[in-house]
Amino acid sequence: MGSSRISYAQLLETNNLVQASADETYWLCVTRTVQESKLFPVPAYMMLSYMMAYYRYPSLLRKIESRMSAEEIGDRARNAGIKIQNPSMGWALPGFYLLGREWLISLGLIRPQDALEDLVYVMDFWKRYQLSWQRNNGHITNKEAGHRGQFLPERRVQVFHADMYDCSQGDELHEAAQGFMAAASQYGFLISCESRISLHNSGPYKIAADREMIVRDFMDLSESDFPWLDGVASEVAYNNLTVTMGVKDCHFYLVDDWCSFESKPEFTADKLVGVGLYTSDTLSDGYIPVGMASREELTSTFKSLTDKIKDANNKLWRRIAGWSRDQMMDAGAITYFSIVKDLAHVAGVYDVNDWMMVDERAERFRPLFNDEYSRDALVGLCIGTHTSNWFSEYTMMQHGNGPQKLFSPIPYSVLQGDDYTPSCGPIYPGSSHLPAKVDRYNTTRGVIGLEEYNRLARAVRPPALEPAYRHLCETWVKYHAGEPLADELYRIEQANSRLLKGKGSSLKRADIEKLRAKAKA
Amino acid sequence: MARLLVDNDKYAQPNASVVVDAYHAAIQELIRRKLDTVGGDWASFVFDKSYDLITAKDFAAIEAKLIATGHRFDYSAMISVRERPEVYKPAPGVGEDSKDFSFEHPEAVVAPADENGREQRGVGDNVVKYAKNLIGVALYIRSSDRVLDLLNSGVPADTVAIIDDSGGTLTAPILEQFKGVICAGGTVRSHLGILTREYGIPCVMNAKVSGIKEGDRVEIECTATARTAEAYQTGVEMTAKIWRLAK
Repeated sequence: MGSSRISYAQLLETNNLVQASADETYWLCVTRTVQESKLFPVPAYMMLSYMMAYYRYPSLLRKIESRMSAEEIGDRARNAGIKIQNPSMGWALPGFYLLGREWLISLGLIRPQDALEDLVYVMDFWKRYQLSWQRNNGHITNKEAGHRGQFLPERRVQVFHADMYDCSQGDELHEAAQGFMAAASQYGFLISCESRISLHNSGPYKIAADREMIVRDFMDLSESDFPWLDGVASEVAYNNLTVTMGVKDCHFYLVDDWCSFESKPEFTADKLVGVGLYTSDTLSDGYIPVGMASREELTSTFKSLTDKIKDANNKLWRRIAGWSRDQMMDAGAITYFSIVKDLAHVAGVYDVNDWMMVDERAERFRPLFNDEYSRDALVGLCIGTHTSNWFSEYTMMQHGNGPQKLFSPIPYSVLQGDDYTPSCGPIYPGSSHLPAKVDRYNTTRGVIGLEEYNRLARAVRPPALEPAYRHLCETWVKYHAGEPLADELYRIEQANSRLLKGKGSSLKRADIEKLRAKAKA
Repeated sequence: MARLLVDNDKYAQPNASVVVDAYHAAIQELIRRKLDTVGGDWASFVFDKSYDLITAKDFAAIEAKLIATGHRFDYSAMISVRERPEVYKPAPGVGEDSKDFSFEHPEAVVAPADENGREQRGVGDNVVKYAKNLIGVALYIRSSDRVLDLLNSGVPADTVAIIDDSGGTLTAPILEQFKGVICAGGTVRSHLGILTREYGIPCVMNAKVSGIKEGDRVEIECTATARTAEAYQTGVEMTAKIWRLAK
């Protein structure tokens, strides 16, 4: 113990990040909907998951960074519809960890200065990842960007924009796309034990004067990390699917860090005027079009996927309906805790024992998590009414105006000799009431075992992240469009595009619209 | 006895939940006792010895002590009541008594029958505005057993599901077959609200109703303005009516 390893600057920055996370957590909790279920004991598994996050995230993030930096993972994640977007990285990574920490502080089981080096590290990892993933808009979170989720580079937005097929209410493609999104949303809630963790929305991107584009990711749909999908999801051909959605006469004024969106006027099905479909994962080197060769193929692809998803949905529901409460607790807690697991997949260090087990230090709290205590303790954490949350009566918290802080700051007194402890320790053994995971992972390189999955992940070298291109950012493109290097960069992204293949870097939004009009003629 | 940092908290206030207060007081007492066994040495206790000294058995004893006072827990998931009925309050209307069950919300706005024989039995928050009101037959769906029965036998035509679960998982395999939904919880942004919107199923959330029993014909005013996010944040009332129709 001591104060020599942490500087004043580190503490100042860490407390700032902790407070930023606290402010947004409060806002999200009071303005978004209450998550409830008569099927799953949701508050109970959420409490358990926070304990898992608190005890394991520091060690797991260090393990991941021993192979690949947070910044590099952020660069890679920007080009795939995988889980390390929102709500996972924008909110949950710090949120789950800090909610767990706060609950333990409120119990008196830890102090605000305990596991100090873990805390500084987790927040620093989060900051570096987010700044990298969001480098095209320069913010750490959607909240900082005024609740807007724009992180894609122009070259990717242009491909999405160009290749989208027009649709209108009542036509077959519109109906097929709507049917798919309804079925996939429902399946996503079930896979994720009533949470929205399988769904991600980002944007909006302005694709015309009267149109915006929202990018919707449906993730972890097939046999992959979750043991409860083994057997029931084998017919779902893609683990991750991304739907690009063109919307007319409707402005999405809010896309938050839980990836909820709000629009004016309200988004309704009749405003959907364009769709596209893609898959991607940590091995795919970007987005791969799915059924995008023709409008007819896309329509039939949506229909076929919908049928498979509905079948998997019903099989999974029957499986879950037969579970014990402990199994439901484990599945929900593991879903929450493992929300950032794709960090390990990108780095090629994924281990089932790391991500699909309940750490024994968290497990011992299970007898506390009956429905009533869990509900009340969770509400206390979300709105800041545990004893640890109250501060001087003169202060007013952001949004709520009460004298509270959702997350306890680190006391600066550690810099002048007050004792602290550095870490909660290494990963402890874990257990689960669920069946063991079958060694079968549906990826864009086929159905493979985990050893092969990790090997391939370690070998992936995304072309756009080669040293010649990695830091050719949007500012650079602004002044070098049309030059050979810029064209090379854009052509990497355009390789699988129906309308933009080989077009290079000089096109602007109006040019894309002209190409779309020409293709329709 | 050892003192904890939280024993000298200048600003602490009691929790609104008596269960939280009771649990936390008992846990702090437990920590003090266990910390005493290592001579009050916090550094060796907090992330090392406490892992063995503070156990699941200790936490189970805290629950047992509260249950011994006669307290019974509120439930949120039916599985909790099913597995441990001795520690939870009973869940009425989910077993054989479902035929006679009805939600009786004190806030339900009711009115005598109008000229068309429509008796208002409540209000809710409309999810999406449709061109016509929806008429169907009420069916309470509040447990996975009920859903399983309907999954096996099929959902009757014209079913208006009456649910108190605003989530999207309980009714996941049969939701698409509902003609309409009256949900006694959540908001239009709850998972059930999101899914009914995606499926194009008329739905009111946060419904407060009274006197609607299984088999009653009901009408939902889904032509009402959909409740907006701003309306929730500013507290502006925007409700849709729910009627029971003459048989």
